[in-house]
Amino acid sequence: MNIAMVGRLIWKDWYLNRAGILASLIGGVATLALIAAMHDSQVALIMGMIVLVTILIGMGAVVMLSAASERRQMTLPFVMSLPISYWEYTISKIAGGLLIFFALWVPLVAAIVATILLTPGIPHGLIPFVLIMAVEILMTTCLITVVAVTTESHAWTVASAQVGGLSLNAIGWSIVRLPQIGGWMRSATVRWSGTATTLLLAELALIVLMLGVTFLVQARKKDFL
Amino acid sequence: MIDAAVEFSGVTKRYKYFTLDHIDLKLPAGYIMGFVGANGAGKSTTLRILMGLVHQDAGYVNVLGHAMPQDQATAKRDIGFVSEDMRLYGAATLEWHMRFVRSIYPRWDNGYANELLRRFDLKAQQKIKGMSHGQRVKAALILALARRPRLLVLDEPTTGLDPIARREVLGELMAVLADEERTVLFSSHNTLEVEQISDQVTFIDRGRILESSDKETFLDRWRRLRLVLPPNTRLPGLPGIVKVDGSSRLPVITTNRFEPAMMAACTEVGVSVQAVDVMTLEEIFIASVQNQREGGAL
Repeated sequence: MNIAMVGRLIWKDWYLNRAGILASLIGGVATLALIAAMHDSQVALIMGMIVLVTILIGMGAVVMLSAASERRQMTLPFVMSLPISYWEYTISKIAGGLLIFFALWVPLVAAIVATILLTPGIPHGLIPFVLIMAVEILMTTCLITVVAVTTESHAWTVASAQVGGLSLNAIGWSIVRLPQIGGWMRSATVRWSGTATTLLLAELALIVLMLGVTFLVQARKKDFL
Repeated sequence: MIDAAVEFSGVTKRYKYFTLDHIDLKLPAGYIMGFVGANGAGKSTTLRILMGLVHQDAGYVNVLGHAMPQDQATAKRDIGFVSEDMRLYGAATLEWHMRFVRSIYPRWDNGYANELLRRFDLKAQQKIKGMSHGQRVKAALILALARRPRLLVLDEPTTGLDPIARREVLGELMAVLADEERTVLFSSHNTLEVEQISDQVTFIDRGRILESSDKETFLDRWRRLRLVLPPNTRLPGLPGIVKVDGSSRLPVITTNRFEPAMMAACTEVGVSVQAVDVMTLEEIFIASVQNQREGGAL
């Protein structure tokens, strides 16, 4: 694999999406600052979390829509005229998209955890729930990635983003009802349970499965234009 | 030194409503081949197979000594590709595209790129989305030419261009001809363009290669003979008759195996040759396609 070439393609996608990345980063940091400033208000905490989740999912969707856009905007022939194989193109799209997502996801998740730990009044028992939901957002991004890269269709990518968003609500609502998650959310200390570990491992396994399926589908393709 | 820059052998690609059927094609290094076909004839599919962007179902493709599609990443280091359906990133400037391509191709010629910018009257700082269609085609050509490729593959690059832009693009391609080491494969349905710049010509129709040879041979072999037949005289058996038009007394025959001796053969049987018309590449192409579609052999 030509790693240098994959790196250049990733840099290209970063450059072309720089406005969205920067806006999301600024929006995320501003929301976190507001949560910290209004730590006494539970409404501000909930609203802030919703905004952060929206920013994260939105960023993932924007990045992956750029993968689907290559065909629609007819830039795919230009990219594929460069000295790369379709395999390398696929890696650049997945790795580039996920790296952009991680650039936002890692600092925001770290900042959310830090805000919970450092801000007086926010129960530390929220942390397992926050981490499970953060990985769930990563899983949703991977779902959008799989669909965007394999179908290269805007419609399917938007549909997968909507399914991902709805699933996020459903999963969040379901796990809050689990006694070992929801029951310990108001605890003053972090209480990690076997259920939380199982849920996190299941999410990570699904992420690996989805990425594996993407490469399998791409390897079987015969027409790239 | 590789004798053939491009070689297709028995290449087949099947779609639901179209089949590229046993394509055999050879383009020697240093030549310019015009690849002529009507819309939907299979030109783009053939060129995409050449670039490794579509995988053939059967057959063998070799480009600059590399088997395709397996070695496409290596082969494309020496290929410049511009297609009618290729677009650049609208939000970025041409300068950004030039920097991006330069970072990939070590042979990128900055002086040549600047010269082309001046000749094409383009501003490097301009964003692609602010350019006209003609300017975008020229921008794509700069990116393909300044990397100094050994093989230039152009899939209908002049489609949709106004006459001035077309002339400028063709002029630059003719200048490329001066470089004898560079091979060009140029697809078009505009036979006039192909006649202007190519030294090899290949016709394709409905997924099959009809003819492929050097341009002079094409133009020398095809003639239209205007004959006058005396009463009760039959047409002599001439080689390569593709089409017979006109009346029974004043037939006009089209042949693809013309030889001066044919005129003597006509005179011998009392048939007078009123005129021998040289055919344009467009006339040859149309006659060739019609003959093929009517089930004739070339």
